[in-house]
Amino acid sequence: MMNNNGFMLKTNDLVKVFRTEEVETTALNKVNLEVKEGEFVAIMGPSGCGKSTLLNIIGLLDNPSSGEFFFNGLEVSRFKERQRTNLRKSNIGFVFQSFNLIDELTVYENVELPLLYMNVPSSERKKKVEVVLERMNISHRKKHFPQQLSGGQQQRVAIARAVVANPKLILADEPTGNLDSANGEEVMGLLTELNNEGTTIIIVTHSPSDAEKAHRIVQLFDGHIVTENQKKIL
Amino acid sequence: MREICIPISNFGEDEIAEVTLSVGYRKISYSFRIESFPWDLEGTKPEEYDDDRYHASIEQIMNLRKALTEYDKSWELVQIFTPCKGATHIQVLYRKRN
Repeated sequence: MMNNNGFMLKTNDLVKVFRTEEVETTALNKVNLEVKEGEFVAIMGPSGCGKSTLLNIIGLLDNPSSGEFFFNGLEVSRFKERQRTNLRKSNIGFVFQSFNLIDELTVYENVELPLLYMNVPSSERKKKVEVVLERMNISHRKKHFPQQLSGGQQQRVAIARAVVANPKLILADEPTGNLDSANGEEVMGLLTELNNEGTTIIIVTHSPSDAEKAHRIVQLFDGHIVTENQKKIL
Repeated sequence: MREICIPISNFGEDEIAEVTLSVGYRKISYSFRIESFPWDLEGTKPEEYDDDRYHASIEQIMNLRKALTEYDKSWELVQIFTPCKGATHIQVLYRKRN
């Protein structure tokens, strides 16, 4: 069903419950969130409040237990894994705290990977990877393996991988969490630059100074959105 | 460097900490406040903990949401702190808007 009303993302009463044989944990409890195209949103809150769970659902890595989730006007909350994968790989780039690069692949190969999954022809892949490596100022390390790089360089490679397919949305889970302040500042600068060019950005962060870069800060507490703070008008 | 951590001993729940920072020739003033909102609400189900996670009651969430919404708009929320087990108040860090 198409119903985006100008929003790139919209959730209605989103609930996520994790169940084991003994325990049932409600990670998200009736979360209502709307994100416009081109917005930069920071999600904050104490550890265990549901930030990463929300990001995983928004990123189509997981389905909610109940509620609706509209992505570009499409109701996707009941999508099967294959449908979610197809939508994800052409629309969403991910940046993680621990970089999640593949140690056995070179910098170049890591960045090329999303394009391989999308069956982009070889010559076009080469061009796109070269451009993005240059932009992230890491092309001089393209033949290196992740373990040969500093944390800041690894995160720049991870951002290169996230943006190489030109996604509309970038989701970043604690992107500066494993970096020193100088590299953290650089990573936030790159995300801000991408947002200025029109990419929608959602970050999960514990850092008030990272959140300052966002247009809007959403505070989660124990699975509920308790407040939203509009910092800049889009 | 993006953050400076300033330990302040015996910082009262409703006190204001004013910080003046010099960066090069610029002086920047910040005012922070730790606000405390009631948490052990009468007649509500007490909060629960399991091994690694905190569970507030719906009444506590509603009360927190109302307190945050109605709070003085000249202050902006920076951080909500997870209350300790059995806490009577929940603490929230605010910064004065410029």
